[in-house]
Amino acid sequence: MSNQKIDITVRDLSVGYKKGKHFVAIKEGINVNAHSGELIALVGSNGIGKSTLLRTLTGFQKAINGEILLNDRNLNSFSIKELARIMSFVSTEAIRVQNLRVWELLSMGRYPYTNFVGTLTEEDNSIIKRAIQQVGLIGYENRMIDRISDGERQRAMIARTLVQDTPLIILDEPTAFLDIRNRYEIIHLLHDFVKNENKTVLFSTHDLNISTSEVDKIWLMLDDKVVEGAPEDLILAGNFDQMFHSDKVYFNSESGDFMLRKNSLGSYAINGSEGKFFNWTGRALQRIGLVCDENNPLVVVFVPTEEKDPVWKVEIDSSDKFECTSLYGLTAELYERLNRR
Amino acid sequence: MQENSLISRNFMLFGLLSLLAVLLFVLDIFFGSLLIPFKTILQALSGSGNVSPEIKSIIIDFRLPKAITAVMAGMALSISGLQMQTIFRNPLAGPYVLGISAGASLGVAILVLGFSSVFALGLFTISGSWALIVVAWLGSAIVLFLILAVSARIKDILTILILGMLFGSAASALVNILQYFSNESMLKSFVIWTMGSLGSVTSSQLNVLIPSVLFGLALSFLSVKSLDVMLLGEQYAKSMGLRIRNVRFLVFTSTSILAGSITAFCGPIGFIGIAVPHIGRLLFKTARHKILIPSSLLIGSIVMLLSDIVSQMPGSDSTLPINSVTAMVGIPIIIWIILKNRKFTSV
Repeated sequence: MSNQKIDITVRDLSVGYKKGKHFVAIKEGINVNAHSGELIALVGSNGIGKSTLLRTLTGFQKAINGEILLNDRNLNSFSIKELARIMSFVSTEAIRVQNLRVWELLSMGRYPYTNFVGTLTEEDNSIIKRAIQQVGLIGYENRMIDRISDGERQRAMIARTLVQDTPLIILDEPTAFLDIRNRYEIIHLLHDFVKNENKTVLFSTHDLNISTSEVDKIWLMLDDKVVEGAPEDLILAGNFDQMFHSDKVYFNSESGDFMLRKNSLGSYAINGSEGKFFNWTGRALQRIGLVCDENNPLVVVFVPTEEKDPVWKVEIDSSDKFECTSLYGLTAELYERLNRR
Repeated sequence: MQENSLISRNFMLFGLLSLLAVLLFVLDIFFGSLLIPFKTILQALSGSGNVSPEIKSIIIDFRLPKAITAVMAGMALSISGLQMQTIFRNPLAGPYVLGISAGASLGVAILVLGFSSVFALGLFTISGSWALIVVAWLGSAIVLFLILAVSARIKDILTILILGMLFGSAASALVNILQYFSNESMLKSFVIWTMGSLGSVTSSQLNVLIPSVLFGLALSFLSVKSLDVMLLGEQYAKSMGLRIRNVRFLVFTSTSILAGSITAFCGPIGFIGIAVPHIGRLLFKTARHKILIPSSLLIGSIVMLLSDIVSQMPGSDSTLPINSVTAMVGIPIIIWIILKNRKFTSV
């Protein structure tokens, strides 16, 4: 296995597409870095140019301006064969070739190394075996790739990059078609390769929860610029707020979630000891449009003291009182009473 | 990595198919309007025993070249179909449906009808055969190039299929227009060409056909590894270090030569190119060209020999056009592919 490490330096890069004889830039002045041993998420809303940037980084299309350096060497100076041993790629397109077994797909990853007809050596076979193990597809070797689930196929595609044995892996929306469990598992898998083998892994996504959960760094594509930093840095700097110009959605920098803006129904305070009942009661009240205000609340909720058969007590304006046995009942009753006022 | 049972199954299949191909080759020589005893055939082929010169001539000058032509046509059309299906990532690609054969016909028509009638007389000489085959290659290559240009813009499989048919119709229309404007002697030699079939290939034409087909097949062996990677699409192929343009050039040259050569001497033969690679995939359950190329060679020969035997209608004096027989074999397979691929994914 190769022990090479790859750092990426992007300087004053402009990416875009060719229209007739002219280049149309989608994004200009991109300055970002990636180091080996880092899992990096390229985040941005749909259509902002993530794929274009990735295609430029993989050399599938030319940069309009600026330069991309791999270990201080310009990307353009690499031959396609050299690049195949440095960088591997997973596209958004789901591969559904018929009659192709998982191990056959993986063995294609040895393309840059095998002979004229693609004969696999002992070493090639052990690399393929190891990759199958690493992505958890043992027992799937002889399954056809059009007969396995989306999550399993995505694992196989990622295993193929491991077989290609490159220090840099670039993935375009690897979690796009997956369910929640598979999304986290795939990212966790990538995280492991980065940490255990010092690879540099860059993937694009528009899913913030995914990207803030395990990545070392985010390249955030905004309308006017691209910023980089640890997920927490970007949250603290208020960068995620700029992702959307929406009066319906905002980024809650306390919880790290996007939330819907609602017309305020009033203010609330919660009475009781901190814990899961306290927190989820707060979430429920926010959901129906109440805002926390400890000093001058319109609604006061007393959280249950017993976990078994819990009872919530509610006071509106210190006069209107009622009790509920579930948060569903509480929110429904509260919503109705507040709207009646 | 690969289960041993799979490998031994492949070996067995290859053995069986080879046996079947040899058997059908012999049967193809055996069946004809004149029933010749099996022993006499063997004697004629080996040159031993007392065989009358007429019988010997029927076997050596007619039936043997026809059987060899059937094998050449089966191999060439199947491999050109296989390569097109992979390069276009389209399970319904083939030299006939995408108009490649029609392109070859147009090439021949331009040569025969558009140029000297003097030349037309020499159509059955060696140099005439070479001229014929080269224009057929060029005609195939032009249509292939057009389809490639279109498929770069349109990804939809059925749309490309319809466009291929349109290209084919356009080529046929041009042939008709050329016929309208040509004089009698040119027309006569062209009509003779259009009646071409497996049986009409002379041994001097075989001297041109065999090396051409073998050359085309050799080119396809060169891209055996690249074709596998092309299955994943261009981006993946490129990211693994494949030079797309080189592979395309190789496959295009090979496909044009294979489809063009057969059309030049046997006329357009449909559906073998689409159907045979799918029979190979079905039998061997693989997408790898290391297996699919040899299996298509064998299955192509088998299907073509079988079609030829059927077209002889053993025991009767008349013969069916070979294109009708291959259509009967090929079309059910194409319908099966369409039904199976309702979602229309890749090969």
